[in-house]
Amino acid sequence: MRVLVVEDEKKTASFIRKALQAEGFAVDVCHRGDEALTAACAVPFDGIVLDIMLPERDGLSVLRQLRERQNRTPVLLLSARGAVNERVEGLNAGADDYLPKPFVIAELVARVRALGRRGNESKSTLLRVANLTLDTVSHRAQRGEKFFDLTAREFRLLEFLMRSAGRICGRMSIIEKVWDYHFDPGTNLVDVYVKRLREKIDDGFEPKLLHTVRGAGYVLKE
Amino acid sequence: MKIRTRLTLWYAAILIVSLAVIGAGTYQEISEQLRHDHSKRIWEHALDETSELVLYVGLPAILLGLAGGWWITRKTLAPVTALTEAVEQKHDRNLHERLPRSGNGDELDRLTEVFNDMTSRLDNSFQRIREFTLHASHELKTPLTVMRGELETALREDNLTEPQKELLLSQVDEIERLTKIVDGLTLLTRADTGQINLDFAPVRLDELVRENVADAKILGQPHGIQVSLPACEETVVSGDRDRLRQLLLNLTDNAIKYNHPHGTVTISLAHSNGLAEFKIENTGPGVSKELQPRVFERFFRGDASHSQAVEGCGLGLSIAQWIVLAHQGSIEFVSRPGALTTVTVKLAIAHDKKR
Repeated sequence: MRVLVVEDEKKTASFIRKALQAEGFAVDVCHRGDEALTAACAVPFDGIVLDIMLPERDGLSVLRQLRERQNRTPVLLLSARGAVNERVEGLNAGADDYLPKPFVIAELVARVRALGRRGNESKSTLLRVANLTLDTVSHRAQRGEKFFDLTAREFRLLEFLMRSAGRICGRMSIIEKVWDYHFDPGTNLVDVYVKRLREKIDDGFEPKLLHTVRGAGYVLKE
Repeated sequence: MKIRTRLTLWYAAILIVSLAVIGAGTYQEISEQLRHDHSKRIWEHALDETSELVLYVGLPAILLGLAGGWWITRKTLAPVTALTEAVEQKHDRNLHERLPRSGNGDELDRLTEVFNDMTSRLDNSFQRIREFTLHASHELKTPLTVMRGELETALREDNLTEPQKELLLSQVDEIERLTKIVDGLTLLTRADTGQINLDFAPVRLDELVRENVADAKILGQPHGIQVSLPACEETVVSGDRDRLRQLLLNLTDNAIKYNHPHGTVTISLAHSNGLAEFKIENTGPGVSKELQPRVFERFFRGDASHSQAVEGCGLGLSIAQWIVLAHQGSIEFVSRPGALTTVTVKLAIAHDKKR
């Protein structure tokens, strides 16, 4: 997967590039809006990470130009302003996702990967990780022989973690996908729910499936 | 005493004294004539006439004068009253609005001009403080992003020792805390500068409350805190759904964070005097009476003795207050240390029952 990173802050651009390369992406970097537009039109990228504040031509304007030219490359917007209005404005301009700064790298990587999957996400109704299964139609969760009851919220959390099995899920993504909050609620809601979920699916079982990645988020894997 | 009453009283006194002077002068003059003249009858008659004149013409003239005076002072002072009312409406949000001037160049017009100049200077400095805070919080985000990113990059190295890893992770935690403060500050400053538009629509507040209570129960569990919802009336308000959810979560989170272990949190939503009243009570240590007026202040953390123990950025209640005010509602914080701490939010009920 080939990704274009457009970010004027050199150090930020550099660690984003390193992180994406470490995950096996091919990465091109440019620091200015006008360069980004030229590059994006010349090369077929699989995704663009686009900062809003850029010299010469800002990110939103680059994005609008791309969409006007019928370029449908998925775009993840980054912004230091982090306002809800800006997120809506970005999505209206044709962005596929939005991440406020400062972000957790694992979160950025997960979202870039999701850009590539957009549209062909697994629609499977029976999710399985090791001997843990979740039936998204009947809402039944089972590990080994044991069934457990989940509240509506726990079900959504487990479904999200299982659909992203093996990949780190940042708190921000969990809050967005499970609670539909587009702001940092400033609580440890996610941690408390994950702890409860862990008690249900991991207590008394080996191996443990739900792991904490400190400073980044959670991952469900064998 | 009002200036107007005072002026009228002075004016009445002057009129009475002048009438007395005129009356006394005339009386004196006639008595003098009486002593020298022998056609006493005419003069005696004149004396009576004078008394009558003073009584029947002088007094009504005074009354007329008084009424005129009352009217003149009212006319003169009306602009002062208007100015006072206009100044009373001033607060830190409408400093940019200028008071209307009469333009006739009199003392009051000049006063209005001076007042307008003063408020526009104040407005400028308020504006500069807000812009400064906004720029500062934006500027802080770039180095925070770089620090966080580079720390995480460093954490991916395989040859780190455990103590090194621990040190880096603890830095990540601190950056996370700083980020929360900067985010809260950005939100409040953007609200101050009017850069946040709320998306108003009819919202079922009772549904949001129920959803919130479900989360609150789970948040309270690790501390053995019981959360109950004894009343939740069906309520539709006109509001921004996301912001109202943020408000509820903010308040319940506070009620749990600032509670004693094994305490209780009681939440209710009812209609009272035509308003939706959301109430949340907790059994925490509370805030002393002297400090209560300050709970909505930014970075206010309660009594220093237990502010250390609680995690948070000190902006939660300020954000809650902003959300309530943006919905034209009211929020009240009452705490009796050792007893209950209650936060009450009142919002107007929307009568459109459609969602």
